[in-house]
Parts: sequence; structure tokens; C-alpha cells
Amino acid sequence: MYIDVNGRKAFATTGGKPFDSEQPTVVFLHGSGLDHTFWGLHSRFFAFRKYSVLVPDLPGHTHSEGPPLASIEEMGSWLNDALEAIDAKDISIVAHSQGCLVALEYASRFKKNLKSVSFVASGLATPVNAALIDAAENNPEAAIGMMLGWGFGTAGQLHQGPIPGNSMVGGGQKVMRGNVPNELATDLKACNAYQNGQAAAANIEAPVQVILSRKDKMAPYKAGMQLVDHLPSPVVHIFKDCGHMIPQEAPDECRTLLRDFIFQNNPSS
Amino acid sequence: MSNFYLFDTLSLHAGQTVDKEFGARATPIYQTTSYVFPDTDTASSIFNLERGGHAYSRITNPTVGVLEQRIAALEGGAAAVCTASGMAATFCAITAILSQGDHIVASSQMYGGNISLMKNTLPRFGITATFVDPTDIDGFRDAIQDNTRLIYGELIGNPGLDILDLEAIAAIGADNHIPFMVDATFNTPYLCRPFDFGVNITIHSVTKWMGGHGTAIGGVIVDGGNFDWGATDKYPTITEPYAPFQGINLWEEFGPTAFATRIRAEAMRDFGASMSPMNAFLLLQGIETLSLRMDKHLSNTASMLEFLINHKQVSWVSHPSMPSHSSHELAKKYLPKGAGSIVSFGVVGGREAGKAFIENVELASHLANVGDAKTLIIHPATTTHSRIDAEALVAAGITEDMIRLSVGLEDVRDLQADFEVGFRAAKKIAGL
Repeated sequence: MYIDVNGRKAFATTGGKPFDSEQPTVVFLHGSGLDHTFWGLHSRFFAFRKYSVLVPDLPGHTHSEGPPLASIEEMGSWLNDALEAIDAKDISIVAHSQGCLVALEYASRFKKNLKSVSFVASGLATPVNAALIDAAENNPEAAIGMMLGWGFGTAGQLHQGPIPGNSMVGGGQKVMRGNVPNELATDLKACNAYQNGQAAAANIEAPVQVILSRKDKMAPYKAGMQLVDHLPSPVVHIFKDCGHMIPQEAPDECRTLLRDFIFQNNPSS
Repeated sequence: MSNFYLFDTLSLHAGQTVDKEFGARATPIYQTTSYVFPDTDTASSIFNLERGGHAYSRITNPTVGVLEQRIAALEGGAAAVCTASGMAATFCAITAILSQGDHIVASSQMYGGNISLMKNTLPRFGITATFVDPTDIDGFRDAIQDNTRLIYGELIGNPGLDILDLEAIAAIGADNHIPFMVDATFNTPYLCRPFDFGVNITIHSVTKWMGGHGTAIGGVIVDGGNFDWGATDKYPTITEPYAPFQGINLWEEFGPTAFATRIRAEAMRDFGASMSPMNAFLLLQGIETLSLRMDKHLSNTASMLEFLINHKQVSWVSHPSMPSHSSHELAKKYLPKGAGSIVSFGVVGGREAGKAFIENVELASHLANVGDAKTLIIHPATTTHSRIDAEALVAAGITEDMIRLSVGLEDVRDLQADFEVGFRAAKKIAGL
């Protein structure tokens, strides 16, 4: 569906069911250069279990009107505006990578309706190599190659995956090609500039869950543990063999973790 | 250094997760119709497209899935769906997006089965086609109607061997919000990856070079994931709610794999043209050596071309690698490793001499197939293209004396000796 956020058209999928503001809401946030399709193996699951689901494309990404937002702080505010626009209540945030930084900002500033936050594959900050930012601006295909090459673990690189016939790398490549150069470069610069993670983490009051992977090359395990160290009593799960794209590389295990945490902290009738 | 695994590595490994229970290195043949669900929630979520998994082998099968993901990887696509045959792939791909009243602009130089499908069969269901000379780019543009929903062609035309100008035709499709679907059987992803040139969907008869051993029939549809179905209202099967799956909007939910998902959800379920696990296994064995075989096909083809060009009993020879071929420049652009292993030629003495040639060679097998490890020959006008009319034969570039040669992997010296026997018989018939 499309929603009006501050006068601009924003797209969000609702997982195959109409959004109902009377039900608890699960919001899924994508990472740099990606879009709502990243969460396809999770969103529909919750939508068919009495949750209202919102998986937005951040401004400028895929179906959402631009321009892309230049800072993580702005993205956090935009998310609040989007959720207010649809009168969402009892909100659980599920975020991946850059989306986690947005979730940090949102959760630390907009606490009223927040029931839980699930951080997947992120640290407190996401410093970005200057060469990657330069490639995103001037050689987008190289930037996409770097991100997908670093992002997926060996199984993903060998086009193994949970959906028969689908190539995760191939699908990601097509999505990212639609979000270059401007959206990806803006995302990466916003990640690189974000410094408020530590303060934001300390200010979160909702129950939190952190899902990390030992083999994540984009948000290394050590960086993820810094996030863990600064959050109040997080529930922590560590994958051994995934890359950075945990929700796609290990969707069933990831979905089970998210399900158990959200069902407990934001139950639906 | 590439960020991704390269072609030969993907040919061997892509799509396969090593069997966790027994550690089988080869892809197991999951010869089963159905799968035990661990619980009702898992069962319902697989049926509702909430998660991956297998329910019934008409829709998906683990062995077939490895082949699908391997081909998607080699082709550079977002997803692939295997089918019972190449023709099943073409039919399923077309009917996934075209309905009654819709129209196709297609190359006139295609496999006879493709032409018959579009000329004779699909019109019974209200889908019509206009055929265009594959070298006439303006003709493709001019043939587009308000109801055109697809542009279709073969990269290497069968059997005339004209090469489609992929980028030029893809641009016409993009200008008109119409996907460009290419039958890429003759090139395989080793020689050309059409998505790199703007093509949106590819079809393969994997029976041919991909499998390469003449042991299994199969087809595949590869979704390039690069067509914006939502930019127009022309494709409601992708962009409108789909009732059998609780009104799912495939474009919104699945983006770059929406087309492949439609085929899985509709064609495999309702038409049931599925590939068998055993065939998928056999085809996987072939793909493991695809690049090695294609290199040998190409080197043998080059030797056979030289032999035929210089032979007194040969009236003409056609192959895109020859500077005299009208598609030579396009072949250099799109097929830099080589323009495939199909050669067309005429035997001095015409139809009867050609018949004598075919009946007197022994290594080269006279049969209706191409892309086998073994060398194959046929007379298209009386076999593969016999069901199309005289006008269409001319449009397809087929002459009465044409012999189609599919160069195999034998020692080329033995092949040439075999052909000499055939040419001697042809010479007698021709009274020379």
C-alpha cells in the first residue's frame, strides 16, 4: 500500500493482509540500498498470525517517492511519522543492518507505542569504507558487487537458499540496481556519519533482542557485541555459519527467534 | 578478483547444499512425490508462500531445485523454474503473462515448435502473434500493437542461424514497457548471458547443450528480475491480487522474482508440466562439464566448417562465425567465445543428394535433436519444420537442400572421414 508521509508517497507491503490498526504491528526495516522484498520470508508469516505488518521502502527506495533521507536521525523521525500516519499501535520493530541504526533512533525517542525491538546483524555504528562510498557514487555495479560479495556467506554465494529456484544474490542484485547510485550512496554516507548509537541504545526501554552471526563481514561479530553491551538486558542469539544476510540465509531459524520474542513481548489476540 | 564465484565453480556447486544426513557429495535424487511436514503450522506456511520448502513434487522438488538454482546462477537471473521440456517452458512463460486478446511480436526464425505454438495453438486461446524477420529491427518496433504484451525470439535462430540484436530489441521492449523473452538454448549461458544485454526472461531447452548427453528432456524459465511489471497496468497476473493465494500481489511481495513465482504458483500447479527428479539429476551431471563441452563443441565446429567450406560436394555453408554470414558482426558482439555448434549447409545435387548424404553417414546420427555430445544431422524441411507452411519456411530461412548439422564431441578426423562417405554417395546421386 501507499501512505502519505509528510506529503510524499511511501510504499509499504503489508504481508498480504490489509493493515488493521486495531492489531499489534510488526514493522520490518531494510538495510542500505535494499527494499521491502528483503523481508519476504518473514512479513507474510506475521501478517497471517493476527499481526498488522508494515514493511516500508525507505524514501527514494524502489517504490517510495524520494529523495532519500540523508541521516539516520531523519530516518528515525520519518519512521515515526509513517507509523503515526497509519495509526499503528503496539509496535514491534524488526530491523536489519542500516535498519538497526534507524531502529536505535526510533526506539530511543518514540517510546509510547513500542513493545519490542529486534536487531539483526548490526553494531552501534556502521563505519563504511571510503572506497565503497566512492564506488556507490561512481561505479554502482562495483559497489553492489562488494556489498553482495561481503554480505552473503558461502551458501549464499553458491546460490543455495530456502526458496526452490530462487537466487538470493541474483534477487538482491536486481533490487540494488534499482536503488543506485543516489539511494545507496546516501544510505552509506548516513550510516558512516551516525554517531549516536551508544546514547540511543542506553535510552531504549522496550525489550530488545539481538541476532548476530560469527561470520558476518559487514557488521562483524565484535561490533555486534558492542551493541549488546550497551542495550538493557538484550536477548542474544548467535548464528555460526551465516553471513550478514541472516534473515535470508537462515530464514526459518531467524523467523522462529523473531516469532518467539514478538509473541512473548507483543502478543496478538 | 571477483566478488562472486565464477562460471566453472558455479557449474559444479551452485544450488546444492551438501546432504546433511549422509554427506552425499553428488546431488541426491529425491524420487518422491511428497514431503512429511513437521507440524501443521509449517505445512500451512509452505502452502501460503510464507516460507520456502517442498509440499508436492509437481510444484517443487529438492533435486529439481538444485538444477533451477544452478541455472539461475549461471544465467545471472533472480530465479528459475524447470519444466518437463523446452516447449513446456515456452508455454508456461507465455501464459504466465498473456491472456485472451493479447499479442506477441516474435522472430520468424525459430524452432518449428515455437512457430507452431504461436501460429496455430495459441490463437485458439485468443493469443495472436506477428512474425518479424529477426534482422529487421524496425520491423519489431512497427509490429507492436496496443495489445502487445511480449517480444520473443531465439538468440541464434533455428536453423538459419541469424543472430538477434539483443540490445536493440530490448530497447524497443523497454520503450514500450514490454518484456523481451529469449530462447537461449543454442548459446547456453557459457556463450552469452542475455540478461547482460537487457533481455528480461530466458527460456532453455536444457535437453540440448546444457544437459548435453541426449538422455533427458527438460526445460527452464529464468526470471531476469529486471522488468518493472508495476510500471504499467498491462500485466495484471503479476501486479493484481491473485485469488488462489489469498489475494497475494506477487509484484509487491516478491519484486524481482514475481514472474517466477507466478509460474510456480500457477503453471506448475494448474498445468503440471514439471520436470522429474531423475531428469534433473541427469541434467545436473551435464551442466557440471558445460564449459569443457562447449569449448570442444566450438573447436570441432571450427574444424568442420573449414572442412565443409573447402569440400567440392558442398554448395554452401552457413555459420555466424563466417565473415560472409549476415550476422557475423552481431555474433562477434554477443557470442565472443563462439557462435555455437550448429552449422547449416547444402549438398551439391539438391534434395536427393542431401538425402543420400544423410543415409550414408554412420557416425553422425540422423535424428531430431541438437546439442548432444554426439554429432547429429537432419533435413529440416521434411522433419523439424515440416509442419509449417512454405511461406513460413522461407521466412525461417530454410531451403529444400539445407542440412542442419549439430557438431558433437567426437574426434573431428573421424567425423570428416564419415562425411566423406556420405559425400561420395551424394556425388553418385547427383551424377557428378
